[in-house]
Amino acid sequence: MKAVFKSATTLGVSLLLMSTFVAQPVLANGPIGEHVNHLQANIKDYSEEVEWMIGKVDTMVSDYESKGAKAVKSDDLIEYWESVKFHSAIETNYVPVYASIWQGIYGVKMAIDNNKPAAEARKQQAAINAALWQGLGAVKLAAQFQQKGLLANVKATATAGMTQSATIDEIKHKLDRVVAKYAERLSDEATSIVHDTYLHLFEGVEGTLIEQDAKLVEVLEKDFNVTLPKAIADNKSVDEVRDVINDMHTKLDRAKVLLEKAEKARKDVF
Amino acid sequence: MKRRTFIQGLAAFGAIAALPLPLSRALAANIANPVSVNELPKLEGELTLYLGRGEGGLYENVLQAIQDRNPNFKLGIRRGPTAALANTIVAEAKAGVRRADLFWAVDSGAIGLVSDAGLAQPIPNDLSAQLQPQFRYKDWAPVTGRVRTIPYNTSRLSKEQIPTSIMDIADSDLSIGWAPAYASFQSFVTAMRILEGDDKTAKWLKKIKKRAKTYAGELGVVMAVERGEVDIGFANHYYTLRLKSGKPDAKLDLAFTQQDAGCLVNASGILALNDDPLATHFMRYLLSIEVQGYLAREAYEIPLVNGVPLPEGLPSLANISPPKVDLTQLADLRPTIALMRNSGVL
Repeated sequence: MKAVFKSATTLGVSLLLMSTFVAQPVLANGPIGEHVNHLQANIKDYSEEVEWMIGKVDTMVSDYESKGAKAVKSDDLIEYWESVKFHSAIETNYVPVYASIWQGIYGVKMAIDNNKPAAEARKQQAAINAALWQGLGAVKLAAQFQQKGLLANVKATATAGMTQSATIDEIKHKLDRVVAKYAERLSDEATSIVHDTYLHLFEGVEGTLIEQDAKLVEVLEKDFNVTLPKAIADNKSVDEVRDVINDMHTKLDRAKVLLEKAEKARKDVF
Repeated sequence: MKRRTFIQGLAAFGAIAALPLPLSRALAANIANPVSVNELPKLEGELTLYLGRGEGGLYENVLQAIQDRNPNFKLGIRRGPTAALANTIVAEAKAGVRRADLFWAVDSGAIGLVSDAGLAQPIPNDLSAQLQPQFRYKDWAPVTGRVRTIPYNTSRLSKEQIPTSIMDIADSDLSIGWAPAYASFQSFVTAMRILEGDDKTAKWLKKIKKRAKTYAGELGVVMAVERGEVDIGFANHYYTLRLKSGKPDAKLDLAFTQQDAGCLVNASGILALNDDPLATHFMRYLLSIEVQGYLAREAYEIPLVNGVPLPEGLPSLANISPPKVDLTQLADLRPTIALMRNSGVL
């Protein structure tokens, strides 16, 4: 559990930013329950679900280890994960960890489906466990923010106005969702998010940005329209897609600084 | 008269004097003087505006400034893609409800959808009289314009090598960048359908497709032209101006076709959904000298009232002779999308 809170400050800032700027849409895998707006009241359930999930994965890997692939149904892993409320609690609050959980689930599943040594399945199992604990920590922290009124309710539509620099935060969040959907093996949805993010968010800021740093816009244009869609289309590993997006995050951080500078320099309307 | 107003008046006079017919005659027609926000009535009460997304926050700045200036005025804003909001307004009307008092759309096609449904209120004469004559409509007010252009790479071409007819470009040997999935491009194709007919437009699309390189957006097109990946592109004017602002040595300039869809002037626009004078007064703020100047300066959009300077870097209107198209006719994109699909473009 120590690792869960290791980067609590960073996570807290991220959650705060998300609560301020992100109006979360309805997510994949069915509707989100109202419970996500009452995290504190559901922490006990989430904790039990995490322990249940960890137990289920352990049972499956143990059966695989002792009886072989025919003794287990690896698809059940996905059903287990989609059946728990904690699934949407983490998806609405900390997408990077949500992606890691899916990555681990598919890691175990692929190890079993491809008859890899049990040690490989155990390695992936450890990754799921770490991600689940980290996710629970994130949800607990989010619950504290929610109790203090610092976390906006999850909404079905995005209606808030955003400054250009705040739009960059939204773009980064959408890109995190790309990793999550890709880790879920939903490549078409991941690609669709990339295109929508480009057309509906990045396009809105690149006009101002190009006046500040034309080269930066050029490389981000390539990332949005070539590098990232190609990585998805080429079935690169989740880690490789995440690397592309982490690189984009760095460039977007630079973009945000430039946009803030432009906003400050802009003359008043009246 | 204040010195600034006097100078702006001189600038407007100079621009009109240089215009070719028929545009110069149109602009010289009876246009009311632009109004400063200082002359407008204070806004008091509440309105709900449906705002089509655009210009990455600059429209938001305008709305916030109007509210800051009018402390007894409360504006509720619903944001979304322009086409989706237009459909919502029509659907709400069919359901017997009206949630929006105003609709500010980034393109006139969406305005046409609402106008065609008979939901828009007439524009007062004194308000439309502030607009240049070709931008006067009975039930909506264009706010700012954007012109279709041919950005070209100056190290590969001279302006004289670019045909002045959009239809002739299809028969040239120039390499082309385009973004056919882009809404502005589709409005341009709609204008071509209206002006040239479906058959000619389909042939044009097929010919261009053979030599065109496709990009996701029109800024991407302009950047590709500047890099020399293609000779020319099809794009709205402001992408080139912004790129040149950020990269003054960019090997890039603008060319214009003449009196065809290639130099269509499209517009963002606003309409009122009820006859509350407050809604009309709100519209007046968008046509004020200050808001028009802000959007020209910051968003590189073309002001549609007299006496406001054009965006920096846009050539004099004397070089532009747009076709005469009722912009609300651009509302129905379905035949255009079908034509583009049948032509293998989409």
